[in-house]
Amino acid sequence: MVRKYAALLRMKYMEMLAYRLATIVWMTGAITQPLITMAVWINIDPSQSDAFFFYFMAVIFVERMTSAWDVWELDREIREGTFSNYIIRPLHPIHWAIAENVVYKLLFLVILIPMWAGAALFVPALRVEISMSQLLLFLAAVLMGALLRFLLSYTCGLLGFWITKVAAIYSVLEVISLFLSGRIAPLSMLPPLLQQWSIFLPFRYMIGFPIDLISQAANGHEVRQGFMIASVWAVIFIMMLQWIWKAGLKKNQAVGG
Amino acid sequence: MGRYWRIFREFFRACFVEELEYRSEFLGNLVSSFFGIGIAILTIHIFFYQTDRLGGWTYADVLVLLGVFNTLKGWIDFALRPNMPRLLEHVRRGTLDYILTKPVDGMFYVSFRHLVFWRLIDVALGLGLIVYGLAEKHYMPSLVDILVFLITMASSLVLIYSLWMMLMTTSFWVIRIDDLSFIFDSFFETARFPIGMYRGWVRVILTYVLPAAVITNMPALSLLGKWNMATALIAGLLAVVFLWLARRFWRFALRSYTSASS
Amino acid sequence: MMIEVQHLHKSFRVHVRQAGWLDAVRHLWKRQYQVVEAVKDISFTIPKGEIVGFLGPNGAGKTTTMKMLAGLLHPTSGKMNVGGFVPFEQRPEFKKMMSLVMGQKSQLIWDIPPMETFLVNKAIYEIDDRTFRRTLDELVELLELQPLLTKPTRSLSLGQRMRCELAAALLHRPTVLFLDEPTIGLDVHTQEKVRRFIAEYNREHQTTILLTSHYMGDVTALCDRIMMINYGQLIYDGELSVLTEKLAPYKRLEVRFSEVPNARWEDYGEVAEVEDSQVVLRVNRERVAEVSAHFLQHFHVYDINIQDPPMEEVITRAFQEELSHGS
Repeated sequence: MVRKYAALLRMKYMEMLAYRLATIVWMTGAITQPLITMAVWINIDPSQSDAFFFYFMAVIFVERMTSAWDVWELDREIREGTFSNYIIRPLHPIHWAIAENVVYKLLFLVILIPMWAGAALFVPALRVEISMSQLLLFLAAVLMGALLRFLLSYTCGLLGFWITKVAAIYSVLEVISLFLSGRIAPLSMLPPLLQQWSIFLPFRYMIGFPIDLISQAANGHEVRQGFMIASVWAVIFIMMLQWIWKAGLKKNQAVGG
Repeated sequence: MGRYWRIFREFFRACFVEELEYRSEFLGNLVSSFFGIGIAILTIHIFFYQTDRLGGWTYADVLVLLGVFNTLKGWIDFALRPNMPRLLEHVRRGTLDYILTKPVDGMFYVSFRHLVFWRLIDVALGLGLIVYGLAEKHYMPSLVDILVFLITMASSLVLIYSLWMMLMTTSFWVIRIDDLSFIFDSFFETARFPIGMYRGWVRVILTYVLPAAVITNMPALSLLGKWNMATALIAGLLAVVFLWLARRFWRFALRSYTSASS
Repeated sequence: MMIEVQHLHKSFRVHVRQAGWLDAVRHLWKRQYQVVEAVKDISFTIPKGEIVGFLGPNGAGKTTTMKMLAGLLHPTSGKMNVGGFVPFEQRPEFKKMMSLVMGQKSQLIWDIPPMETFLVNKAIYEIDDRTFRRTLDELVELLELQPLLTKPTRSLSLGQRMRCELAAALLHRPTVLFLDEPTIGLDVHTQEKVRRFIAEYNREHQTTILLTSHYMGDVTALCDRIMMINYGQLIYDGELSVLTEKLAPYKRLEVRFSEVPNARWEDYGEVAEVEDSQVVLRVNRERVAEVSAHFLQHFHVYDINIQDPPMEEVITRAFQEELSHGS
């Protein structure tokens, strides 16, 4: 397995190099929406400018590190029939996607961390003072967020075996998550009802929760509860994924791709 | 001009027939349009949950602005967006030559050949939201307001077309990206809110360089009766200048395409 | 037997689209289906090391059968066994012993060189370094890949890409190879190259190969045995030469005269073409020797040429015959 991953990672790395221009353009494209939202909030409450600035920079970072594009890839591959190329090979197709995620997210990390560090030299609002253990917790939460978004996206993509418009369905989920994950506003600014929902739905743990950890907005109890709920969702997603994968293969064998 | 109008009508007809094949998608498109505008209004709600002014605009004002935004977005999705991936495909496969040999202006052809009618629902919803916002504000626009609105709206459409076309033209060089339209989207997103919200150099850029703010703010202000003739004229002038630039850029790209391709 | 297929059936439910507005709405909760039988009761066996040509018009069921053999489709009924495995169970061991090449669907990764795909396959199929090196060297030589290995796949021509595609499919030394239209869209010269490679590879490694193609040339050059399928049914399975004899019991006799004789060509055979100084006749196999001897003796013959009828002609006849006998 280690060897297989080494080969896949190498291949995905080469592929990323071939797409580097597109990758960078995508990355820049993804930051405008948080920046605009930030401008809105700073305008609403200028006294909190620094807090908002930190929050939305963290949104950009966490959003990139957890982003998942697998649904579009799967949708296209299943529609065009190239997904068969993975099925006939003796390795589960999900490993290709995992390798791709690892490569791209490492790239994001390599770009974003130095940028953050450089900016923190000049902008005091970006400086973070936390202990090692808190940092590790934050990273664990980011990893959990990435896992949740990946699983959701891949599971949706597999629905492509049945329906042609999976990307549209996933977009609806993304829009809902826009509110409930804390991308439109820090969760504490939402109406109480939405705040309550967000605790039990998976979206918060994709973006908002890690940010709460890095900005030290969560107490010990909330942290434990957060990881618990996120893990429950991860288990649910994994079970759904397995079930849909098996059913999808059957369906594909019945009607062809 | 009359000839181009006839050709456009022909594109319109051809695409309409094509879409009738997929009329079962009507419901899905209707739902997605309502969902889109509902989400936009919800976002505004969340902002106004914490404040009662956004860049100096009241809730009702912002609704009118959002209506203008949705209308223009509908037009983009109706006439411009469907053509972007096709041009990229043409350039990549070299089939652009077929179009260039047709006795029609190439820029006109590549920008309007494909139309997606469903998105006119967004235009209708946007107009509805404008009316609702005005009712909420209890403001009845005068005839002059409406006239200025129409002029600024037309300028905005020309501006959008020019900016879109310039972006699309870059595809002659940047053929490695599947879809450039999201670059336009991320810039156009800035037009969703009052320009007064932005500060410093961001505001300057959004007013003069990438006039996102002018595109939506101006028509909305006109309807709200807060226009002045000078700014309306500037909007019109800006539109003409950008159209000229887009045209020049297209010509330039074509020259390098025809001399470089094999 | 490498491949065994018994009473194979495959039917699809195709969903019928209605035209009217109202129907489109009704359609949301009630869908109408039509059952299409793509493959009807097909049985055959293929021994190890044989190359079999699989012929048939578009939509006859060739690709469906091949996808079932590769495990991509689940048969509606019937039994199949490929190298001791039931394909649709999709066991890793099965996947490692077979390979599928589809002329129109590439497994190479578009934007990076083919070598990268090879390396990924090496890992996925768990090929050890030595075997990989050896196999790759052999394939590189046979397919003349050396200059292509490090170029991005997108910059390769169709023929070059197909050659790399074959190499990627053969790296793990499959014992069964399914080739679906491997020469589609290639120019004559490249087709020839690919054919020669397949023949040579089969000789060397005793790989069992099932091949579908539109091009007669592929089949005549590679296969002794062919299977013909039409409307999902197997209409012929046997030697190519037998089919030719059965359906085309004649040879083409092309004669050019230096001095045009006055003769009734119909007496010698079926007339295919007559020009000023040239006649093309379809002459019964038993009479060929007699007729040509007669020509040489009695007329001023400039050139004489005896050929088997072109394969296209035979196949067309086979399908026509099927039509008149069949339904």
